[in-house]
Amino acid sequence: MLMLSKIPKWNLGLIFVLMLEIIIFGLINPRFWNISILLNSFNDFIGIAIIGFFVTLVMITGGIDISGGSIIGLTSVVIGILSQLIGLNIWISVILAIVAAGLCGLLNGILIAYGRVQAMVVTLGGLLLYSGIAIVLVGVSGVSAYEGISGFPGSFSNLAYGTVFGIPSSIILFIVLFIIAYVLLHFTKYGRYIFLTGINQHASDYAGINTKKVIASTYVLSGLSAGIAGTMLTSYLGSARADFGSEYLMSILTVVVLGGTLITGGKGGIIGTALASIIVGFLQVGMQMGGVSTQYIGLATGLLLIISVALLSISSSAKENMKKLLRPKFMKEGNV
Amino acid sequence: MSKFKTLMKKREFRTLFFLVGIFIIVGLINSDFLTIGTIQNSLKSSLLYIVLAVGLTVVLLTGNIDISVGGTLGLSAAVSGILLKNGGSIFVSIVVAILIGAIIGLINGLGVTKLKISSFIMTLGMLEITRVIQVIYTDGQWVENLPAGFKQLSQLNVLGFNLLLIIVMAGVIIVHLFLTRSRKGRYFSAIGDNVDGAILLGVPVQRYVTLAGLIFASQVGFISTTAGLGIEMTVIAAAVLGGVSLSGGVGTVLGATIGAVIMISINSALIYMKIPAFWNDAISGVLLITIVVTDAILSRRADKQTKKERLRARVLQEEVSINHAHAK
Repeated sequence: MLMLSKIPKWNLGLIFVLMLEIIIFGLINPRFWNISILLNSFNDFIGIAIIGFFVTLVMITGGIDISGGSIIGLTSVVIGILSQLIGLNIWISVILAIVAAGLCGLLNGILIAYGRVQAMVVTLGGLLLYSGIAIVLVGVSGVSAYEGISGFPGSFSNLAYGTVFGIPSSIILFIVLFIIAYVLLHFTKYGRYIFLTGINQHASDYAGINTKKVIASTYVLSGLSAGIAGTMLTSYLGSARADFGSEYLMSILTVVVLGGTLITGGKGGIIGTALASIIVGFLQVGMQMGGVSTQYIGLATGLLLIISVALLSISSSAKENMKKLLRPKFMKEGNV
Repeated sequence: MSKFKTLMKKREFRTLFFLVGIFIIVGLINSDFLTIGTIQNSLKSSLLYIVLAVGLTVVLLTGNIDISVGGTLGLSAAVSGILLKNGGSIFVSIVVAILIGAIIGLINGLGVTKLKISSFIMTLGMLEITRVIQVIYTDGQWVENLPAGFKQLSQLNVLGFNLLLIIVMAGVIIVHLFLTRSRKGRYFSAIGDNVDGAILLGVPVQRYVTLAGLIFASQVGFISTTAGLGIEMTVIAAAVLGGVSLSGGVGTVLGATIGAVIMISINSALIYMKIPAFWNDAISGVLLITIVVTDAILSRRADKQTKKERLRARVLQEEVSINHAHAK
């Protein structure tokens, strides 16, 4: 009981939803209860989860990053061109591509933190720019945009299909990045600075925190995570294309917001995002197994997004109303 | 001269100069670009984006955002397209399309104001939902073979000008006058922190969106399941290019209109400069980022300048009053 009371209520709700989901989908199709199928399904949403972890950091500082999806496409194309057309070693090209993704994030971060332009606008420009660069790279190198670049070595496809001690490597990656993000946000000074920046940037500035550096760094992290996601997706699908990840935007934001992170910043957590990404991922897998056409999955995610945000805001406003009722009357006059 | 300076200070004129600049530079490289026909063509193909950008500006002024435009556009276009195909009259299908848009707008507005969902999230969810409903409704197929009469709607000319062009331009001017001259219109930019006002805006905005849906349908002649896909990003970019602030309160409909024309002109400019089309997105992205960043820096500098002047004026005033006291 003591353990239960320590878990935030929102996360408890998410765990409950996840259990419910597993039970319902299992009743519809018993194959859903097969552990190895469930574990392997992580490959389908690992990209969303990875980016979601670090977009959570961005959102806690009060920003937003919608360019992640297009960075996936860019990373994928860079890996393909460097390794297949130029002939670099596959792992060197992967590292270079992830560095490129980090640079994209750095550009976002510098413009947002130091140029003081709205995060939404900058990352919207980034969304166009990065996918644009990917398309240009594909166009210049003369590859068919539809087929993409393929023919990667087996060691590279092992990244998505391999196992470590019998556990699919995508799950290992999920856990490793989860731990990195969790420790970074909840156990380090840097993480506390992220929260403080989101709660009140001016106050944190006066308190001696270099908020600009904190904000810019969160975008770099989010860019790097998009690079890793792009690498995983390229390995999973076995080809490099510019339009990979373009449909991820909606799911990434759904995962972060469903995880209980406030879009206005200052509040949120990695555990929530991790749970939410599993919920959204299993929802897609379960619906596919249940024979629901893939077109309906968007409807479910859309509804999930709106309902979860509505619940979050209703519960917080209900709390506020309770406070107002309990407080003496003069507070109200002061507000007017 | 002073009049010219105040003109230059207005954001939308800077955008206009930029547009003229694009045309001149491209014209120097390829003189075919500067014919009346090309200019009219780029205006005509940007009609849809103008209408959407104008609608979006109204939302942006209040400090909210609407990214569901693409979904709404696709859905109302699909429904009215199917109505038309099954022999419905043009008038009925237009009314139905506008109704659909108004209902979606009302749901968005209620969600934002009553449930206090952030407008970005609300309309993002709505974007996905409307898109799925459209796919279910059309069964994933394209709506083709629209009646010729409907397609002609976009080809009609009045006094040598395209009818739709005239309607859209009249609409832009009316909305501009409404926003700047009438009391209710000015509320939009004043709303900012008044959340309840947003309920007002959901409905009218979606009307413009559906109007855009009709323009889209009648221009293209068929409606694919991906109709309106990705349009929302272009439209937001157009409004931002035109100087509309995403944090609300700043911007004009005229600016957004020019921004929309720029976004489309880039496409045709690239063709005339013989640059492959795959450069489109990268160039739009670079332009958007450059313009927004320079604009932010310029406006911050102007802000500092006025603050300095105000401080100086206050210091002067104090000195005057001290001198005054001494004289006494």
